[in-house]
Amino acid sequence: MPELRPTVILRMGSHSEKEYIEKTLKHFDGLMVGANLLQISPGATASLLLKLHKACKRPYFVDPMTYAFGSYFDPETGRVRDDLDWIKSEQKVPGKKGVTERKFKSSYRKLANYFGEPFSTALDRGKALTQADFSNDHVVDEACRTIIKFQAERLREVFKEDPQTASYANDLPRPGAVFAPYFYIEPNRAKHWLSLNNRLALRTTEQSKDIPVHVVVCGHMDLLTNAEHSALVVDNLLACKPAGVWLWFSRFDERVANKEQLLALRWWVEKLTTEMSVFNMHGGFFSLALSKFGMAGTMHGVGYGEQKDVVPVIGQSTPTVQYYLRSLHSRHSVLQIQRCFTQLGIKTPEDFFLKICDCAICSHIVGAGLNEFSQFGEIHYSTPKSKRAAQTPAAAKRCRYHFLLNRILERDYVEKSSLPEIADQCSRSADIWSKTVIGPASAHAKLWAEVLNSNL
Amino acid sequence: MTKFSKESDLLAPVARFVKRRGFCLQTAELPFYEYRIDLYGFSRKNDATVAIELKLNNWKRALEQTMLYQLCADLVYIAMPESSARRVDKSELEANGIGLIAVRESGSCTFVLVAKHHDEIHQPYRLSQINYLKETACA
Repeated sequence: MPELRPTVILRMGSHSEKEYIEKTLKHFDGLMVGANLLQISPGATASLLLKLHKACKRPYFVDPMTYAFGSYFDPETGRVRDDLDWIKSEQKVPGKKGVTERKFKSSYRKLANYFGEPFSTALDRGKALTQADFSNDHVVDEACRTIIKFQAERLREVFKEDPQTASYANDLPRPGAVFAPYFYIEPNRAKHWLSLNNRLALRTTEQSKDIPVHVVVCGHMDLLTNAEHSALVVDNLLACKPAGVWLWFSRFDERVANKEQLLALRWWVEKLTTEMSVFNMHGGFFSLALSKFGMAGTMHGVGYGEQKDVVPVIGQSTPTVQYYLRSLHSRHSVLQIQRCFTQLGIKTPEDFFLKICDCAICSHIVGAGLNEFSQFGEIHYSTPKSKRAAQTPAAAKRCRYHFLLNRILERDYVEKSSLPEIADQCSRSADIWSKTVIGPASAHAKLWAEVLNSNL
Repeated sequence: MTKFSKESDLLAPVARFVKRRGFCLQTAELPFYEYRIDLYGFSRKNDATVAIELKLNNWKRALEQTMLYQLCADLVYIAMPESSARRVDKSELEANGIGLIAVRESGSCTFVLVAKHHDEIHQPYRLSQINYLKETACA
């Protein structure tokens, strides 16, 4: 099996994450930005990517986000949704105080306008794209051409539009790869969507001569273990031969996945790795460990995003950024970790550094006293009217930096360790933590060890 | 069929029960990081704090929560309707020093298991909760 150096691509979700990216990207292996972010803040995004290129020369990628214009199987209702509601938001009606209406987000409207037909038509009619919208080969050709152009040229176009930056346009690097347009493989019409995605992948690989083409396989979690559909996708990819493939099984979470699903992910990697680079679009430590089976890399955000649903959760309050526990490769509340101190014999900061974490953030905070660990969970009432206390921005920031530093350590650990060593570390950690209040949440590490050790 | 249909139905009888045992300074729904402690009390006389999780059925979930409450309270209890309390694995609670209060339909309460003082207390959390209680009592 081809063993690869594990890589981590950071995904920037919004410009509020700029500081984390600027400070840590040099330790990571690349950056992904969504096309919607690029389209809503073109100048800021282009300037940032140029600055990052000059500072650390890491490749960047633009996720064309074409799936957002397709339909989606709603697991809550069991129905296919084609109302495009997930790319809408409540917006103020000009001139009418306190009145809002639900309209397409400006970023997606602008993106659809750039992509042209059939994307703009979908928004005009308020209904998701279907395979029928791409029945004409000319439409497929044009869609692929525009979407390649967006990823390859948009940054330079942005600089050229402004006389102050026009002369720097050619300094902007090209992306590390361009993605073929892709849609969510909705399970009820899987074969149709597989066929369309394959056509889009084939045309993109034919069209893009200068920049490597990557393909995204974006499907329901069941696709992972569906033997017939998995074989079809793998056959299509092997025939298409893109330079890379990014696997995104909606809602698949390494930490809650069962053995069958974890083995299936390993199977996908092993089937494809000899012909193309295989990435997990949203993954964590288990995906890094799969580099021993040929996984080229994984991607996540600065403090979240090791799993992602195709349709974002709407209307929830900002989630607490929990403390990342490197030995279990999972997140836990500050209280849960603190409650383990006695059981693990942690009485001093030195004990903490030895048994939990000695990254720069923890050294600084816990070095001042073991009680200071609570700073990772500090809460406050963000406004006088707030009914519930929420994590302070400073605490969330500590947790994010701690996570990023730990992710770098994990990647480097995987690189220098053998597969049996990694499996053993997972197994031993599960044994240690299973005796604590975190116990029930440590089972994944045992399962990972089993899957990494198993002979397929 | 119990007369208790929601956890908050247990609050008044349990609050009275622990008040009679000296925990006169009390507050319900006390924020503790991402949790809210159903009932938290302080006894000036004994300089002791108590945290109580009210549950209708799911004692395992209550055990997970109460083990975290030990970080801020000297004594920690799960309070349940008497019929549910009978089904609790008391050895698990006992091993962790967690107590159990059964609430009868009449509203009277009884200790099924007495909570133990433990080593998990985190003084800054405890003091912060006591201060909160004192401030809200004065307000």
